[in-house]
Amino acid sequence: MAVKRSLGYKVLLFLAVSALLLFTLFPFVQILSTSLKHQVDWGNPSLIPTVVNFEAYKELLGLTSQEVELPETIKIMLQNPAISEEQRAAIIEKFKSNADIFPFGRYTLNTFLLSMATALISTALATFAAYSLARLDYRGRSIFSNTVMFVYMVGGVLLMVPLYQMAVGIGLAGHITGTLVSLLLIYVVQTLPVAIYMLGNYFRTIPKSLEEAAMIDGYSRIEAIFTIIIPLSRPMLLTVMFYCFVIAWNEYLFASVFLKQYHDFHTLPLALQTLFSSKNAIWDRIMAASMLTLLPVLIAFTLANRYIASGGTAGGVKE
Amino acid sequence: MQPAIKSLKSLAVTLGALLLTSSLVQAATEIEFWTNQTQSDRMKIIETLASTFEALNNDIKIKVVPVDENEMATQMAAAAAAGSLPNVIEAGSELLLAFGEEGIVDIESNGKMLQKIGKKRFFSGALNMLQAPNGKDFYGVPMHGWIQGIWYRKDWFAERGLAAPDTWENIEKAARELTDKSKNQYGILIGTKPEGYTEQVFTHFALSNGARQFNAKGELTFNSPQMLETLKYYQTLAQFNPPGPQTWRARDYYLQGKMGMFFYSTYIMDDLALAEVAKGSLTSEHFEGLSGADFDADLVKNTGFVPVITNKTAASYGVLQGLAALKSTPAETTATEKFVEYLYDPYAYITFLHMAPGGMNPMLADIPDHPNYLKDPKGIFKTYGTDAIKTIINGFENIQTFTVVDGKAFPESGQIFAKQIIPRMVYSVVFEGVSPEQAIARAEMEMQDLIGR
Amino acid sequence: MSDRIVAQESRLGYRLLAPAFLVIVLLILYPIMFNLYLSFFDVQLDGNKTWVGVSNYLKLLSDQTFYHSLGTTLIYLAGTVVGTTVLGLAVALLLNEEFPLRNLVRGLVLLPYFAPVISVVFGWQFIFDPVNGIYNHVMVEELGLMSERQNVIGEPDSAIWVVIVFDVWKHFPIAFLLILAKLQSIPKDQYEAAAIDGYSAWGRFIHVTLPELRFVLGTVILLRLIWNLNRFEDVYLLAPNVETLPIYIYYRAFTGVIDQGFAAAVAVVQLVFLAGLIWLYVRKVLKW
Repeated sequence: MAVKRSLGYKVLLFLAVSALLLFTLFPFVQILSTSLKHQVDWGNPSLIPTVVNFEAYKELLGLTSQEVELPETIKIMLQNPAISEEQRAAIIEKFKSNADIFPFGRYTLNTFLLSMATALISTALATFAAYSLARLDYRGRSIFSNTVMFVYMVGGVLLMVPLYQMAVGIGLAGHITGTLVSLLLIYVVQTLPVAIYMLGNYFRTIPKSLEEAAMIDGYSRIEAIFTIIIPLSRPMLLTVMFYCFVIAWNEYLFASVFLKQYHDFHTLPLALQTLFSSKNAIWDRIMAASMLTLLPVLIAFTLANRYIASGGTAGGVKE
Repeated sequence: MQPAIKSLKSLAVTLGALLLTSSLVQAATEIEFWTNQTQSDRMKIIETLASTFEALNNDIKIKVVPVDENEMATQMAAAAAAGSLPNVIEAGSELLLAFGEEGIVDIESNGKMLQKIGKKRFFSGALNMLQAPNGKDFYGVPMHGWIQGIWYRKDWFAERGLAAPDTWENIEKAARELTDKSKNQYGILIGTKPEGYTEQVFTHFALSNGARQFNAKGELTFNSPQMLETLKYYQTLAQFNPPGPQTWRARDYYLQGKMGMFFYSTYIMDDLALAEVAKGSLTSEHFEGLSGADFDADLVKNTGFVPVITNKTAASYGVLQGLAALKSTPAETTATEKFVEYLYDPYAYITFLHMAPGGMNPMLADIPDHPNYLKDPKGIFKTYGTDAIKTIINGFENIQTFTVVDGKAFPESGQIFAKQIIPRMVYSVVFEGVSPEQAIARAEMEMQDLIGR
Repeated sequence: MSDRIVAQESRLGYRLLAPAFLVIVLLILYPIMFNLYLSFFDVQLDGNKTWVGVSNYLKLLSDQTFYHSLGTTLIYLAGTVVGTTVLGLAVALLLNEEFPLRNLVRGLVLLPYFAPVISVVFGWQFIFDPVNGIYNHVMVEELGLMSERQNVIGEPDSAIWVVIVFDVWKHFPIAFLLILAKLQSIPKDQYEAAAIDGYSAWGRFIHVTLPELRFVLGTVILLRLIWNLNRFEDVYLLAPNVETLPIYIYYRAFTGVIDQGFAAAVAVVQLVFLAGLIWLYVRKVLKW
């Protein structure tokens, strides 16, 4: 198709690509722009802030240098001789620190740990299950395979009521440890089918002869999995982990059902939703928080773009 | 033998002492306090008050949990289901009455706390709003309260020769005049989204028209000609609202100079003054020629406040926030009582109220005269003047709500509030084309179902 | 292979599958059954239940808002499926052309898909804010297409369209990826042959491209239907007033007048629809 393209074609192509990029990227630009604007500037349709304002980011990251004055009445109370010098200092210190205005770092850490645990457990379980379904032969295998396919497509919202009732029924919902365990298990099972599905498809593309050769050399099946299959699948395993991680990182439904009253353990989606209703005149801060939530995914995406895009087509992709 | 016994004895004593101290350490009672002050700067003050209390009472730990006021009812239900109810909550009087009726409030403990703090020190109007139907128990201790009114642009009113928005007629006329949708400018903000704010604004109008939920005999009289008239008037006013369903959040448009009037509690005093302080650091030349935003450096000076609205009768409306101890273990109850009594210590109490000067008004009659009270950290009382503040506080004695009729509280009204029947009715009329007659009839039916009458 | 090895292999197969499958049974298959069971009860949040027979289902059938929600779901499904597929196809064709920086553009286009929902919904809400948002500014002041500003997300009737556009924006990249992969595998000589036969560009698209893409388009459509029937976050966080079935279930189960048995019944109805779609997918797509 080495046809020489006309100028009209080039202009059209350019316009179409520009329109496409405008559509895809505009919301991100809007978020960035509003996160940098002062309140009086919000109604200004221009995307460029009249005065650039970093306060929202500083506040979220606890970097505001503004000295907060301890209210007079608290000072009077702290003079009570029953309060020791250390206690007094600790209270004042805590008051003056800006860290817990909106503990963004803490929420990020919560979300990261939960998502990471989900990704690791899910990928590990899925590797063995997928290998079993893809390579080994046994009665009922196709039923198991179809079941995985089926549960892969059952949305969390259909399981919301029974899972909640199960957690209440066995007494897990009453305290934070039980709640976190419930939530982790739910995240694992929400990501497990897609992980099995993606890995299963991938394992089928690896020639059987590789393992057979290894087994002729005296390796057992298990050893072959660890020495041949897993090293060969490293990019795919990372992609699957990335998908599981993102699913958990984004999850709002179950987090809101289980974690709402445990503020210290909020994940980012829940924390942002709460932040939105916890302050007046919030747009700049909520947009800054949006940018910061986007960042880790963006970084991971840039680094692994190549694999991820191919993983998306391989898996049919759970959302 | 002797020394052996002796050493054994001393060993036992040491062990005992060890056990005792460790059990003492473990015995630190943790109580959970749910507050509806979710704003982070207020949380900070509450946390500091709690830490100070913990420093004074080494055996008690306080866990402060902020809960959005619109979610309080459902969160309580979920917590009750999971068996993780808090020990003490801060909530509006309507909700406290509803919780009281559900039997989760510890009436005895509340009575004890009132006695300790001094029942006579409270404004009597405030106490009435938390009284149980038996006339002697209380479902909570009054903590603080705000009154609601219309805040408006005095300068815009003067330019157009409009009278202050204190009657239905004046309000409608001004709303009409000040609405200029082509300039992205709106006459008024009233609540139209199905949530608490809408109920508050609607109630204010209903009261000023003599409309009530219950009569003195406790019969449901919601579907009345007065209520219908109010709803129709409300529908008319909604035309001058910013587009679509709105709630208190839209008051940002007022701060941006795009709105003429808005219903709000006295909480706005804080925000108005602060907005001005914040803007002080940016001079208006930064924003010169800015289209879409009208920068106003004199917003406090140009803002007027009307707390009493009149149609058939003059009405002022407000919300009382109370503290209620919930049923807990004896150790937790004792700790809760200590904590609540501590919160009414003048310095702790004033610290609490200063989180939102003007918004959180004292319910103890002797506090306004306390030397520290008028010296709030942000200097807001100074901006508005002491007279204005005292007027607001005294206004609380005449507060009306749907829950109290002739000095008697009807907890059913709280249950109705919790289910948001009134705001949903308003929404259906303004946005779903339901006729006011039909909507009121349906709302009354829902209320009847709920209270079983 | 000897029988011994076969038996060994199948034992290993079970053993490797067991942990994952147990979790799935415990936390998906059992809950589905439990949900069916709960739908015949009046269920309190604390787990107390009373047998009510089919009355939850009867209540459902006589509930206006349920039908409304069903209608909303259908509009949502139709709009998003058509939108994502058409846009996905168009973008795949566009980005299959050659131009400078093509790979960069292909990467950037994927961004909405990977961005966490929570990090973009507020931006979208702000764009459609009735007083400050750019949408109203452009529509009313710049283009004059609307006579006055509207609260597009605030009102459920228009919010559904924003939710649809949002979903298309967020999910066309995956349709694009699937279609592009197939597009790249169509042999060039087919086009050349068609060109020799005298087909125009449009004719080549109709006679060569579309038939080749038939299967992948079918897959995209079915998968979109399945995922979007399940979708909760994107709708609820952007416009909580658009009540598709999942949101309807959530409200009944956890807000206002809580009625978990009723919510379970709605979930059963939704599961029936979903199972139908999945069956179609397995029969049609996986056989292809």
